[in-house]
Amino acid sequence: MTRSRIYGLAGFVWFLLTIAAIVRATRLGLLVAPTEATMGNVQRIFYYHVPTSMLSLLFPYVNFGASLCYLYWRSRDPLKALTADAVAIASAEVTVVYASICLLTGMLWGRAAWGIWWTWDARLTSMLLLWLLYVSYLMLRKLSATGQAHTLAAVLSVFAAIDVPIVYMSIQWWRTQHPAPVFFGGPDSGIDPSMMPAFKWNVIGWAMWGIFLLTFRYALERRRQQIEQDNALQAIEASLEIAQ
Amino acid sequence: MKLSWIFGPSMEAHHLLYAYVAAWLIQGGYAAWIAWHWFKTGKNARASGLPTGPRDDS
Repeated sequence: MTRSRIYGLAGFVWFLLTIAAIVRATRLGLLVAPTEATMGNVQRIFYYHVPTSMLSLLFPYVNFGASLCYLYWRSRDPLKALTADAVAIASAEVTVVYASICLLTGMLWGRAAWGIWWTWDARLTSMLLLWLLYVSYLMLRKLSATGQAHTLAAVLSVFAAIDVPIVYMSIQWWRTQHPAPVFFGGPDSGIDPSMMPAFKWNVIGWAMWGIFLLTFRYALERRRQQIEQDNALQAIEASLEIAQ
Repeated sequence: MKLSWIFGPSMEAHHLLYAYVAAWLIQGGYAAWIAWHWFKTGKNARASGLPTGPRDDS
């Protein structure tokens, strides 16, 4: 069995396990977890909103690490730099996906719970800024005509990563419409133990899904890079044949 | 186990349903986009006689 077949099989098994985890998590969140006393059933958005929000603050660090590796290797070891670049674009796209869901589910919850779709408080604004930074990162890579687009994007990613701790700490540094931290927010924070299984399974399920997407997108980018390299090599060989 | 309350007439029920469906649509849409490009890239590579999988150095 070739290495690519083993990777494919492992990816398929991981995908099936992930779907099973998400189905279980969704069932727990919608059907098993108790109804919250003050907000009612709309609070069940929490089981999707909080795990995706947490993950949307973790994937930027994958992008940050990969961008630093790219900047370090780009002149020292171009092949390693290409690998780092593939991880960087995959993690940036996954960040945008998770941050989009975080913002969208937050707005739907906010409209039902607060009566408003949006408010320019520190948490919501800094999260929107994070989303915009990673959309800018992807647009820069896609649309820039210069040969330095990947390097510029890597530098932008370093600045974007600075926004992540600001998003996380915003509800502690400033008074916001957004609720105080549910976890690690002091003695009054936390959720009822009966809600924990639904929350934990959603964190596990969506984290597994994020890893699946990241790996799949990385593999796609590596395939594209390989084709570009082979095309370039064929063009060089053809030009040498013409010269002879 | 009844799911009828999710499809109820209230705004809370609507928004809960929209939030879950939006999450599935965005995640599923992105996964489908990757899969589409994966097969398209592989097909183009095969058409031009290029290898499609990771290099097998073993």
